[in-house]
Amino acid sequence: MIVCVAVVGHQNNPLYIQSFTEADDALKLHHIVHCSLDVVDERVNNPRKSGPTLNETFLGLLYPTENYKVYGYLTNTKVKFIMVTTDLDVRDADVRSFFRRFHAAYVDAVSNPFHVPEQKLQYQVKAIDDCSLQTIVDYCHLSCILDGI
Amino acid sequence: MGREVAESCVDSLLTEMVSTYCHRFYANKPELAARRIEAIGYQVGHQLSERFVFRYTMERPRFTDHLEAIKFICKDFWSELFKKQIDNLKTNHRGTFVLQDNRFRWLTRMSVDPQNESQDNSADGENKAAQATSMHLYFPCGIIRGALSNLGIPCAVSADISNLPACSFVVRIKA
Repeated sequence: MIVCVAVVGHQNNPLYIQSFTEADDALKLHHIVHCSLDVVDERVNNPRKSGPTLNETFLGLLYPTENYKVYGYLTNTKVKFIMVTTDLDVRDADVRSFFRRFHAAYVDAVSNPFHVPEQKLQYQVKAIDDCSLQTIVDYCHLSCILDGI
Repeated sequence: MGREVAESCVDSLLTEMVSTYCHRFYANKPELAARRIEAIGYQVGHQLSERFVFRYTMERPRFTDHLEAIKFICKDFWSELFKKQIDNLKTNHRGTFVLQDNRFRWLTRMSVDPQNESQDNSADGENKAAQATSMHLYFPCGIIRGALSNLGIPCAVSADISNLPACSFVVRIKA
């Protein structure tokens, strides 16, 4: 299950962070997302020298913790997407397709003419963003469940 | 879901915006009008680039250097906006790029009024026409600057009209 997604701006400023758990662990998830930013920096500054994944937007598994796996995605506009999941066996292809949808939702949100660049997405675009994000997360859960059968 | 706008509407909007800023809001301050128009272009470029970059990176890697980002502007970005690519790209490899478009779409319907020219003495008329045309180029300059700054490249962009409808944009990257 996806427990948290976050959008982080190019100066490592949080633009959007949303958790999907019932429990009161927002602080813990914030901490996990915060830690993952160092890993993103490390990946970008020491890129793999060759191979098909060179400079790809999808950064893959950033780091596993005891209960979670953290995945990252970096756009050409230096915006980072972070996703925290509790699933222990996740296929890369699923995460890729999640990030692709998430990126599309982000682009739709910032294309709002009333959106101010570099400002948090929570305020003026909340309605659009939340509803499409919820759809994406639900879709991914559904596809994971179907894969399980 | 592709929603499109008639090209003539965009042309009219651009012309109207320039004339409103130049003749109504800042009638006696052309520099201020130019700055405002450029700022509008900046926001448009900033938001457009987000969408075009998304389409671009669906199956391609991230940009590694400035040249790749400029090439993206010349090819993909320009094609999405103007249905053609930049015709010529020159660089001094020290942060200055010249993007030349031999038939810039927003200038194709622009001409110098011959009546006006015969009334004034010709040098003055030409000067006025050049000034009016350059006012229309602050908007695309802003678009390029907005797109590049969203890609993490702060720069200054100026435009240069040699003979209509050809025009070239000079991009100077700030170190």
